[in-house]
Amino acid sequence: MSSNDKDCQKERREFLKKGIAAAGSGLLLASAIKVGGATAQNSIDGGADSVLPLPKDLPADKNLLRMYQELHRALEKPMDQRQWVMVIDREKCVGCVSCTVACKAENCLPPGVVYRPVIDEEVGKFPNVRRRYLPRPCMHCEKPPCTKVCPVKATYKRSDGIVSINYEKCIGCRYCINACPYGARGFDWGEYYTEDTPEIQSYELQPGFEYGTARVRGKGKSPVGNARKCHFCIHRVNKGALPACVTTCMGRSTYFGDYSDRHSLVAELIGSTNVTRLKEELGTGPSVYYLS
Amino acid sequence: MKKLYYLILSIMAVIGLWSVIIRLGEGMKVTALTTYSSWGLWVVLYIFFIGLSAGSFLLSTMVYVFNMKQFERVGRIALLSALVSLGAGMLFILIDIGHPERFWHTLVYRQGNSVLSWEIHFYLIYLVLMLAELWFLMREDLNKAAGGTGIKAAMSKLLALGYKAPQDAEQLGRHRKSAKKWLKALGIIGIPTAIAVHGGTGSIFGVVTAKHYWNSGLTPIIFLVSALVSGTALMAFIYAFWSPETDDKDTLLKKLGSLLALFISVDLLLVAAEYLIGFYSTSPEARLPLMNIVSGDNWYIFWIGQIALGALIPLALVARRNASRRAIGVAGLSVIIGIVAVRWNLIVPAYDVLPIHGLDKAYFDPRLVNHYVPNTVEWLSSLGLISLAVLIFSVAWEILPVIAEEEVQLSYDGQTNEVSTIKA
Repeated sequence: MSSNDKDCQKERREFLKKGIAAAGSGLLLASAIKVGGATAQNSIDGGADSVLPLPKDLPADKNLLRMYQELHRALEKPMDQRQWVMVIDREKCVGCVSCTVACKAENCLPPGVVYRPVIDEEVGKFPNVRRRYLPRPCMHCEKPPCTKVCPVKATYKRSDGIVSINYEKCIGCRYCINACPYGARGFDWGEYYTEDTPEIQSYELQPGFEYGTARVRGKGKSPVGNARKCHFCIHRVNKGALPACVTTCMGRSTYFGDYSDRHSLVAELIGSTNVTRLKEELGTGPSVYYLS
Repeated sequence: MKKLYYLILSIMAVIGLWSVIIRLGEGMKVTALTTYSSWGLWVVLYIFFIGLSAGSFLLSTMVYVFNMKQFERVGRIALLSALVSLGAGMLFILIDIGHPERFWHTLVYRQGNSVLSWEIHFYLIYLVLMLAELWFLMREDLNKAAGGTGIKAAMSKLLALGYKAPQDAEQLGRHRKSAKKWLKALGIIGIPTAIAVHGGTGSIFGVVTAKHYWNSGLTPIIFLVSALVSGTALMAFIYAFWSPETDDKDTLLKKLGSLLALFISVDLLLVAAEYLIGFYSTSPEARLPLMNIVSGDNWYIFWIGQIALGALIPLALVARRNASRRAIGVAGLSVIIGIVAVRWNLIVPAYDVLPIHGLDKAYFDPRLVNHYVPNTVEWLSSLGLISLAVLIFSVAWEILPVIAEEEVQLSYDGQTNEVSTIKA
């Protein structure tokens, strides 16, 4: 039995090694992103960000790993050669709303603001009934109806496809919110979850890092009084990390990548069967594709 | 009596300003607005006052551009109310935007594709135009009044901008002729400007593909016609009850009454077109807002406000053969109240259709619903700003030569190239 023991020992050692490596690189990755975010005082365009290197051992599922690698490849290209898109697989989505929550946490969203709600609908009649889920981030349209109506050009489409908001320019007229056919734009009403309690809790006073700038919400200070919406976590993307909703999705049903890379995972998925976009007939050209 | 009037107005204005201060201090969270119903009472009143302004202005062009001498006496009143209404409209939008202190961004950062961006620039041109027209109209009387004493004299001196009416009759005649030419020119530029101002305000909504209820070519036209209706109604109201007694007061009022009836009829035609075509459709986004308007919880806004007060009662009052002055004046007031209902129904029902069905059930939050009822802060601030506007108009009426001592007929006598003067 000694040889078996030896084998078991060997296996145990291997397992421990792999486990520590996994934990270690997980921590490394997490701290890399956090450090990057905390010191980021970049321009709102997030232009020339330094991309943090991917840890060597990233034991994640194949698709996640592939998305990370393709993301880093895309970041090596100039900004105007990237075309960020998202693909959401409605068959795999179980409606857990973790993406909604992760986005809320990542961007420190206050009451009244949600970037990625998950709409659910019941299809059919009992006993042939099921629920279908529709996670709805900002579509980052090719022809955005929202950028067209902004009187001060505070919201605009970047060359990498992201529809961005300049919080300092935005006057809060809410025209863009009315113009979005997907209801994807929201408004920061200036509320806090703990506002009628003895003390506003510290989690609400943490800075968000949207568009690469650290901002703590305060009365009369942007982004309070501004339009707000999903930005594909561009502050993370520019540092080499996938959007929060993508990494959190437990069903691996949300994908993100550079569509101009024709061999990327997102390009393969978009070329598969049964791909749709919301309200295609409007001609807005969304950058979010649904597999159903 | 007058003191009481001013006292009540001032109290309401102060209460309103206190609400505005709360709004400016605490931010937009003090309103009942939501993300899925993001334009409410303040925007309704903004479009109401812009419409009132454009309508009054277009009425004034009948005097100074089309030489319709019969409306001469209401010319200055029309211009003054157009000016004050514009100011009121701008105040309402100022408190509605999330960052009022950034309003100047609209004149520094612009966007060629945005109707709103164009509109704000048009408002500026329109404002300068009206100020210029009023100055040319009143400069002679201002110069005269500057010779007196008291606040009126001081204000008149300031507003005359240094103009001195020549003593010599021939020179005076030339000055008046030049003023008349300026007025005509400004009026001519003013017509497309006023149409752009209020047709543009309508287009702000008309171009929004996301809201089926707004997205129609009819929308800017409805806005313009409602503007003409409210402008004419305001003139009828003011002229009936506050203008001095003159020989032709009755005929002028009757003419205003006929004009009002005409504009109301056109407005009703547009309503009929919109509703009949809309109800024919099976699509929920076409039907739902209309259903809610005529038979929903707020049915009275349409039936009592828009139809009864805004159309049927005034039509009944002015259509009679010998409509009294009071009848025409009351018809004007009725229409003004009714048009507020019209403006509400132009904006708010669009939110009854969510951009994606089920969006309000996807994430539960009081600000993520499309149900909107204005709250106390919104009501008080609105009543306050309206009181302020009426107050400013009343004070201007007292101080400025809105009703001329000597009515100078600044319209052309086509035959003799002469400017004639008629005694008031």
